[in-house]
Amino acid sequence: MPRELWSRRAILAAMAALPAAGLGRAAFGLGAASQVDIAELAIDGASIHRPAAWQRLLFELIQSTSVEANPATVKLAPEDPALFAHPFTVLVGDGALPALSEDAVEQLRRFVSYGGFLFFDDASGARDGPFARSVRQLCRQLFPTRPMAPLPGDHSLYRAFFLLDRPVGRVAVSEVLEGVTIGPVTPIVYCPNDLSGALHRGEDGRNRFPVIPGGDTQRREAIKLGVNLVMYSLTSNYKHDQAHVVELMRDGKLE
Amino acid sequence: MIPWLLADANLEHGTLVWTTEPVWVGAAAACALLAWGLAVFGRQTGKQSAGARAAEGVLWALALAVLVVAVAGPEVVEENGREEVGKLVVLMDGSGSMGVSDGRGPRSTGAVEAARALADTLGPVDVYTFDETVRSGLPERFDGRGTDLGVALDVIADRHLGQKLRGVVVLTDGLDRGALRRDILQSVDQGQVTTDLAPSLPGPVTFVQVGAAEALFDLSVDHVTSGGFAFLRTPFTLRTTIRGPAGRTVPVALSRDGRAVSQETVTLDDTGKAEVAFKVVPREVGRFAYEVSVPVETGDAVPGNNAYPVVVRVVRERTRVLQVSGSPSYDQKFLRLFLKEDPSVDLVSFFILRTREDFRSGWKAHELSLIEFPYERLFTEDLGTFDLVVLQNFNYRPYFSFGREDLLQNIADYVRAGGALVMTGGDRSFDLGDYARTPIADVLPVKLGVSGVKTDEAPFRPELTEAGSAHPLTRLGATADETRATWDRLPSMDGVNLNRGLVPGAAALLVHPGLRVDGEPLPVLSVREVGEGRTMALNVDASWRWSFSEAAEGHGNQAYLRFWKNALRWLVADPDDRRVVVAPSRENVLLGDEVRLTVRVRDAGYGPVEGAQVVGVVEGPDGSRSPVTLTTDSTGEAAMAFTPTLRGAHRVEVGIGSRSADRGSTVFAVSNRDPELADIQPDQAFLEQLAELYGDRGRFIGPGDRLDVLIDDDAKRKVPDRKVVALGGAPIIALLFGLFGGAAWLIRRRDGGV
Repeated sequence: MPRELWSRRAILAAMAALPAAGLGRAAFGLGAASQVDIAELAIDGASIHRPAAWQRLLFELIQSTSVEANPATVKLAPEDPALFAHPFTVLVGDGALPALSEDAVEQLRRFVSYGGFLFFDDASGARDGPFARSVRQLCRQLFPTRPMAPLPGDHSLYRAFFLLDRPVGRVAVSEVLEGVTIGPVTPIVYCPNDLSGALHRGEDGRNRFPVIPGGDTQRREAIKLGVNLVMYSLTSNYKHDQAHVVELMRDGKLE
Repeated sequence: MIPWLLADANLEHGTLVWTTEPVWVGAAAACALLAWGLAVFGRQTGKQSAGARAAEGVLWALALAVLVVAVAGPEVVEENGREEVGKLVVLMDGSGSMGVSDGRGPRSTGAVEAARALADTLGPVDVYTFDETVRSGLPERFDGRGTDLGVALDVIADRHLGQKLRGVVVLTDGLDRGALRRDILQSVDQGQVTTDLAPSLPGPVTFVQVGAAEALFDLSVDHVTSGGFAFLRTPFTLRTTIRGPAGRTVPVALSRDGRAVSQETVTLDDTGKAEVAFKVVPREVGRFAYEVSVPVETGDAVPGNNAYPVVVRVVRERTRVLQVSGSPSYDQKFLRLFLKEDPSVDLVSFFILRTREDFRSGWKAHELSLIEFPYERLFTEDLGTFDLVVLQNFNYRPYFSFGREDLLQNIADYVRAGGALVMTGGDRSFDLGDYARTPIADVLPVKLGVSGVKTDEAPFRPELTEAGSAHPLTRLGATADETRATWDRLPSMDGVNLNRGLVPGAAALLVHPGLRVDGEPLPVLSVREVGEGRTMALNVDASWRWSFSEAAEGHGNQAYLRFWKNALRWLVADPDDRRVVVAPSRENVLLGDEVRLTVRVRDAGYGPVEGAQVVGVVEGPDGSRSPVTLTTDSTGEAAMAFTPTLRGAHRVEVGIGSRSADRGSTVFAVSNRDPELADIQPDQAFLEQLAELYGDRGRFIGPGDRLDVLIDDDAKRKVPDRKVVALGGAPIIALLFGLFGGAAWLIRRRDGGV
């Protein structure tokens, strides 16, 4: 996306144009079920909430892809049964998470096992900080036999819509995403690079945080990562289907 | 004098037996006692002295006792034996291969002439016929369907147990179909030939080969190996062996259900054999009669073995599904997860990730991991490779409108030819996808062409219809009540694509609780059978909620999985899973053998239909049609016997109505290639080897050799001799009765008795 599009003026202009563009199409849908949204997990004293970041991601999704999305977020406790109305759920944090209740763990396990997607975004900007350790511990609770592991370079998430070289966010402390893989799909993904920090905006529409070390170029890559995350949660390993691999190799986009 | 009195009975060596039933002997004794009493006490004694009266009573008693003894049937049995010269047994092969003519006339004629020659030169012979059984005498016809020489030799040994035979002469072409030949030839191959392979016999044995290999002209399809079944769209190989004169070049043809499929030309090697492999890619599921054949030339000894029919059952290894989605969504996600996890499904997915409207976002092409949607190839050459096409919120216009409107017609044709189509709801589906007045609309279960608002976005809970409670597609529980309860607890849908109601012949399984069309509830889930194919319309885009909300309540996602599994199974139903199924008792039948055809009829809920009137035909290879008229019983089944009179593929078509769903078909192959005639080259090597196993008590005589059979002139046999003399009529009985009775009568007269 051209850099100038992401000027404040351009964003506001684009928001104003929503009904005539992507969102106008969504108006014909069959209700909320046909539209993708994002739920933020709320854990008292531990979770960070950045609804503007996720709305920006959903807006980009509408603009760039065929996905019907509702650029809105909801906050839900992990025990809340309403979680099952929002198959894409995120948890942002920068410190240690408190121990979750048994009901919460059980519900998260069912959520992930039956098709939900859970994205952990580490806002600390540090490698293996307390949030990362908490996430690993939680994943061990959820799936004791499937520990969180780095996603390989040919993982479908890196080519779900954009071809990604590196999964960067507000920072770029890690070269890889991590995740829990169950069968052919990875329903839990952990990003150490603070993706939401790169997407987050203040009420004035300006970016909330600087992106380091790559600046706007890195922010652009972060947006691509966000789109890929949502697209991967919907299409799972679609990009590993033979038809796609062969075509992408023919186009020189894969080796 | 005494032998005359005893009618020549030898009491010294014989055994006395009583032949009358004891009850009759008792009755005779009772009568005798009564008569004695009357004779002794039933008269006036007059002046007869007591001594005379006693003597008379004793004499009457003795006379009557003699009569009782006579009534008891005394017999003297003498058993003796005498030695005679041992028998000469001729075992004649009566199997079908003996009827083959090999240039010197039928083998059977040579065999009969040899038996007569033996009788003329060596005296009486006992002739037995053997094929799959053993019986006395010459064969009436040489048409036995098997040859079991080992059993025949065992039977001869059993029948002459304890005897010695002058000789056993076996007249055969050596084509033993039993275990003896197989075991011996296997042992020869393994170099482990032992004499205990040969059945023991009570005399020397001579194997006389009837028929000569070099005099035979026979071109044959020796064998066809197919494995019996094949997978749809997966190549399989029909391997066949051709036999005939060495060096001859032969065209070998393969046909399916009477229609030519392929032809190969082969040259027979030095041993007169050639292998041919036909690679076949089945394009339909079902039973098909393949036949490998070679031409019948003048002088062919057995025209019946020039063709080899075999029925191959083609099944799906995996159900091949094409999922085309107009945009990634939760509905698409959950359906893909289900289809991907099902090992019986081969899924090809294409999701439209970006439309022309999204181009304005300005991303460069090299940044995108996108490929072109290969819609032209998918809906032309590839379409027939799929069992099921799912159009999931997919609008065809951006693709098919550019000069490829024929692609929609292709999909409709694919359905009518036996394919399956599902359309699910969404903002690019049904009327919102502009499918009204297209070929797709002609095959869907619901009528399109809604004017004005095309969706209703009010949440609603679909209601199960009567048809839905019985249909296998919506059966989510073990019982109808359980099914209804499961549907009742499933979550609401967020909206529905409106339609103009069912097309004739379609069925609504789920309906809207409030919306109506033409006075009927609005169909939400509907099905239809179109031509040979089936379609399903699901006018919502939130069936994923049936999975996720069930999981939220701790019910797992069984309702969702079962619904889509049922849908898959029903949409791509195999011929054996149809409502009307006909099956033959055997798929490969010999001409003249009876084949039993069983028809099974099930209702929409797949329960048995009693009293269904089934009509149809058995169509022969010449187009002849034999009617089938049956009525099903309480199990929903009916059966009939059919005896084919023509060789070739027979197709059975039955039905309870004219619709495709109400009809079933099958095929069976009829051959006049008697297994006995599959291989008719005389087996000299086997007979030579068998004779060798008997050492100096075995001999092989080849065709044209002098009929010099092995004979044991010292062989003797004991002939049983049994003499029975009935003493009841012997003179001594009359003599004793007359003596005692006469003496008693004289005493009475002399003493004045009356």
